[in-house]
Amino acid sequence: MISEPLLEVSNLTLDYNLGNRKMRALDRISFSLDKGQVLGVAGESGCGKSTLGLAILRLLPRVAEIRRGAVFFNGTDLLKLSEKQMEQEIRGQKITMIFQVPQNALNPVFKIETQMTDILRVQDKYQNPGTRKPRGDFRQQAIERLESTGIADPEARISNYPFEFSGGMKQRVMIGMALSSGTSLLLADEATTALDVTIEAQINRLITKLAAEYGTSILYVTHNLGVLAEMADRIMIMYAGRIFEMGQTRFVLGDPRHPYSAALLESLPSRQTRGKRLLAIPGFVPPLDRLPSGCSFHPRCAFAEDICRQEVPPLTEVASGHWSACLLDQKRGRQKWKWS
Amino acid sequence: MEVELIRIRNLKTWFFQGKGLLSKWFGQGLKIVHAVDGVSLTIRKGHTFGLVGESGCGKSTLGNTIFRLVEPLEGEILFQGRDVVKMNQKELRRFRQQAQIIFQDQFGCMNPRMTVGQIIAEPLMMRQREPESQKSIEQEVAELLNSVNLDPDAAIKFPNEFSGGQARRIGVARAIALNPMFIMADEPTSGLDISTAATILNLMQDLQDKLDITYLWVSHNLNQVKYMSDDMGVMYLGKMVEMGRTSEVFNHKAHPYTQALISAVPRVSSEQQEQTIFLEGEIPSPINPPSGCYFRTRCPQVFKRCEEEEPPLLDLGGEHFCACHLHDA
Ligand SMILES: Nc1ncnc2c1ncn2[C@@H]1O[C@H](COP(=O)(O)OP(=O)(O)OP(=O)(O)O)[C@@H](O)[C@H]1O
Ligand SMILES: Nc1ncnc2c1ncn2[C@@H]1O[C@H](COP(=O)(O)OP(=O)(O)O)[C@@H](O)[C@H]1O
Ligand code: SF4
Ligand code: SF4
Ligand SMILES: [Mg+2]
Ligand SMILES: [Mg+2]
Repeated sequence: MISEPLLEVSNLTLDYNLGNRKMRALDRISFSLDKGQVLGVAGESGCGKSTLGLAILRLLPRVAEIRRGAVFFNGTDLLKLSEKQMEQEIRGQKITMIFQVPQNALNPVFKIETQMTDILRVQDKYQNPGTRKPRGDFRQQAIERLESTGIADPEARISNYPFEFSGGMKQRVMIGMALSSGTSLLLADEATTALDVTIEAQINRLITKLAAEYGTSILYVTHNLGVLAEMADRIMIMYAGRIFEMGQTRFVLGDPRHPYSAALLESLPSRQTRGKRLLAIPGFVPPLDRLPSGCSFHPRCAFAEDICRQEVPPLTEVASGHWSACLLDQKRGRQKWKWS
Repeated sequence: MEVELIRIRNLKTWFFQGKGLLSKWFGQGLKIVHAVDGVSLTIRKGHTFGLVGESGCGKSTLGNTIFRLVEPLEGEILFQGRDVVKMNQKELRRFRQQAQIIFQDQFGCMNPRMTVGQIIAEPLMMRQREPESQKSIEQEVAELLNSVNLDPDAAIKFPNEFSGGQARRIGVARAIALNPMFIMADEPTSGLDISTAATILNLMQDLQDKLDITYLWVSHNLNQVKYMSDDMGVMYLGKMVEMGRTSEVFNHKAHPYTQALISAVPRVSSEQQEQTIFLEGEIPSPINPPSGCYFRTRCPQVFKRCEEEEPPLLDLGGEHFCACHLHDA
């Protein structure tokens, strides 16, 4: 039996056109995400992680241009839908995005209640066309959703304005709203980066619960590999617009097949003892309109050889379900990528 | 013998909030935010003291009070034996050359119309005594940029031309311009990605090794505090609840709050994973802290006495302190 993936991105390629500069922010991105699964995305700043989420939801700025590829969601190519269909059927309904700064996503002038019941109402209108229930009918449902996100005293709290909530509470409301919209795909872009460890743990537990109970699939972007170790089923490592490695969490983190993934793991202070230096990958992510030849990582890679400057490594399945884009790994089989 | 650079005794910083004359004259409706509420600690010279705790627990306020950016209500801040709280303007100015801050939001505290060279030169110009060497300010700026691994060309650029990690390094360059003995780093890597954060941590470590700088390292990233600090303190609602050598606190975490914080740290390798202790709810308001132990509203091990009595900070031996009735046998 083959299970149909909920999301299937194939060959997605996107440029930001800035004057005469063409920055390829996504380059032949292909992956799939099954129902109820969590796919973690990591990589340095500027590697295209946020662009990927925005492209899926088609919330791109005007300078962005999708060159080719498809984004199949439940079998429909989202890139072929009209803007009206995206707005009425997809965004905030079936696919919801939560951002790093929740303040911006909640409207400061409306009470939490208004914002939550709005969503429930719109959803109801699509499920039962022709009916139009008053807002009050959804209050109880909104309270239940708020309660399920772990906010104490939801009956009273629902009448608050966003500024009366702390950062962690706002983020939970966002997730509660995602829940109340009957979302089947949640895109979380560094959604907990600004929060404390204890609140972050609460939120991540909530997200995992969501995935398990409601069968919601999650694309989870973060710098924190520790968080991904705990909650992602699979991990995708991105660099300069490309996928460098992808596979089951325990393989990507436990047995990285790409030097870049290995380097990210070695840069973590949790892996190092006091007094020892951390690995800092030399150099920077290159400007996307001036990518180095061959493997775009070669100027920073400790293992680069001549061939790396000449050939572009394809993303290849190096073990069952484990993909990597390193020439040396592909030509010589598994290597130990020890940076220091 | 180990020398202490800073000793803080029973420091309290409260904020008074209230509108109108009634609250001003009669204290009616006056709200008191107990941001720092009786903290004592010692920072050893050339070492790093890590300060952790959830948002709003008073870490930044404690740091800002050390620099007299906010005035304490009571308590002592001894810097090399002299009380910062009692310093006059002149002494304070000298102190503020020996002690520097690296703020969390680097861009926010840089004037966008000044070049990076001017920003770094600013403290150099305010120097009271002329340096012995006859170096020009430009030379000094170039050397500072070099010591934080930035290109000398950076001096003629403006802040908005730099990435978050580079801006953080400019902040470090400015902070070390006057050879300070002490630096408070408030969330120095927040918002940076893994490899940029690693660069900053290495840089700060190198500077400490080379210049013997003492750090107060404020962060809510426990992995980072474990990696960077020699001693650490855990704050909750304005109070120190646990304090000691970092290795000791991590190996023998005594306070239920510390245990929850450490258990919640996500770890990459599965073998060392501990069971996460989930704390329900959020930190209570510092305006109306709970009676007895401030942590009791979230403590998984709360018992009757916790509501009635405030636990004192007790020495568990080996300079390991903890404020919890469970350890008060
Ligand atoms: N100027 C002020 N007026 C009133 N209250 C204040 C003021 N500054 C801080 N507070 C309050 O004091 C408490 C401690 O704040 P502080 O900024 O020190 O926390 P923190 O531990 O640094 O938090 P974070 O991790 O979010 O930076 C908070 O409740 C805060 O709201
Ligand atoms: N609106 C935009 N206009 C031009 N370039 C952009 C825009 N948004 C992002 N980029 C560029 O695209 C690349 C990927 O950015 P982003 O997706 O935000 O990365 P990440 O989320 O991985 O940090 C970066 O080089 C960034 O500068
Ligand atoms: S292809 Fe070459 S440069 Fe690229 S990651 Fe592999 S070894 Fe490094
Ligand atoms: S004193 Fe009581 S409530 Fe406070 S930390 Fe100890 S056990 Fe928990
Ligand atoms: Mg991003
Ligand atoms: Mg702070």
